[in-house]
Amino acid sequence: MRLQQPLAGKVEAEFPQADIGILFQDDALLPWRTARENVALGLIFRGMDKRRAHESADEWLARFGLSGFEDRYPRRLSGGQRKRVAIAQAMALKPKLLLMDEPFASLDAIVRARISQEVVELVEREKISVLLVTHDLEEAIALSDAVYLLSQGPRARVIQRYDVPLSRPRDLVRAKTHPAFAPLLQSLWSDLSREVDMSARAERERVAA
Amino acid sequence: MMYDPRYAWVRQLLAFVVLLLLWEAAGYAGMLNPLYMPTPTQIWGALAELFGSGRIWPHMEATFTAALVGLALGIVVGIALGVLAALIPPVAELLEPVMLLLNAIPRVILAPLFVIWFGIGLGSKVALAFILVSVVIFFTVFTGIRQVDKKLVERIITLGGKRMDLLRQVYLPSVAAWVLGNLKVAVGFAFTGAVVGEFVAASRGLGYLLSFAQSTYNASLMMALVLLIMAVVLIIFALAGRLEKRLLRWS
Repeated sequence: MRLQQPLAGKVEAEFPQADIGILFQDDALLPWRTARENVALGLIFRGMDKRRAHESADEWLARFGLSGFEDRYPRRLSGGQRKRVAIAQAMALKPKLLLMDEPFASLDAIVRARISQEVVELVEREKISVLLVTHDLEEAIALSDAVYLLSQGPRARVIQRYDVPLSRPRDLVRAKTHPAFAPLLQSLWSDLSREVDMSARAERERVAA
Repeated sequence: MMYDPRYAWVRQLLAFVVLLLLWEAAGYAGMLNPLYMPTPTQIWGALAELFGSGRIWPHMEATFTAALVGLALGIVVGIALGVLAALIPPVAELLEPVMLLLNAIPRVILAPLFVIWFGIGLGSKVALAFILVSVVIFFTVFTGIRQVDKKLVERIITLGGKRMDLLRQVYLPSVAAWVLGNLKVAVGFAFTGAVVGEFVAASRGLGYLLSFAQSTYNASLMMALVLLIMAVVLIIFALAGRLEKRLLRWS
């Protein structure tokens, strides 16, 4: 995505870069553009004419329950509404792969639960692959089909892969009552703790030496 | 009477009127030397004479022309240099020390020099207003562009935006916001430049009238002119404030 140059290696994908959508932790909407204009941005960059892009933006806003907020500037939207606009902005480009870096971290618990559920439903319906980075183990299990545990950075590597045996479509609240949920959470947690302890010890030894 | 913070303006107006009345009464009682301290009615008389005879208009025109031309030039050049310096590091290397120096000194000390260079006509006043405004705008734009939110830039790139899109969607609106945010300061500087320039050497303008009133020990004319310049700048401030509010309605 031209955000950073890799130091080594390369990334391979079976589809063009344009099919990758990204959602960061911050909503990063342009403060001087309305909700509609923000959602339409990517479409206009891809050469769609303004009127059609705005129509499409309105449809996406409506799908996230933001009808009537099209002409609002980000400053006059709540945190949850801004996050929905940012998601609509990424989804409007119909990505095949969505990269999300703790997208819900900045939201309060209730809004977070609702938006997560909306995103899960959308992703299931549109058949989008998602790569989600999170520190929240419950979120990781409830949302995912597979969880990869990474070691401490720098030079993080994959320690372990866990398959999540929950079916889709998925209800995030009910997912947590599934009999497989608690054992999986437990093993993730113990592996993670061991990794954290190990790297803390390594750090101490490095400092001592 | 109960204290009600909503009626602050009533009390302020009342205090002001009382002060004026005391001032006027002191004048009538012979407690003020009219050579130094004219009464409110004498100041009002001087103002009425200026407008009544119509002799104020050519002076107003001269000051406004100098201030507004200097303001416009200063904004355009300030933005251009600020953008160049922010985007091209070698330009910043050369410009920043000069601008820092110009920013550090009271720029009105350049007025006599400008009179020698550009004559006692409009040129020297425009030059002074210009130098006052352009330095402020330069720093506004220069630091502003370097502080553009990196997250917005990343966002535009991940949405597939090109360099031109970055300029149009991120940099230009940011620059516009900073310039508008400093528009009042710039307007104030433009009038300072024009009036001080006229004060130093001129044949027309509010600053010239002021220096004329000073040389003839005409205190009521001086105070009338001070009031007039204050009123003019306040009106322009209000206009600039409305423009800012309209164009920055997203903030």
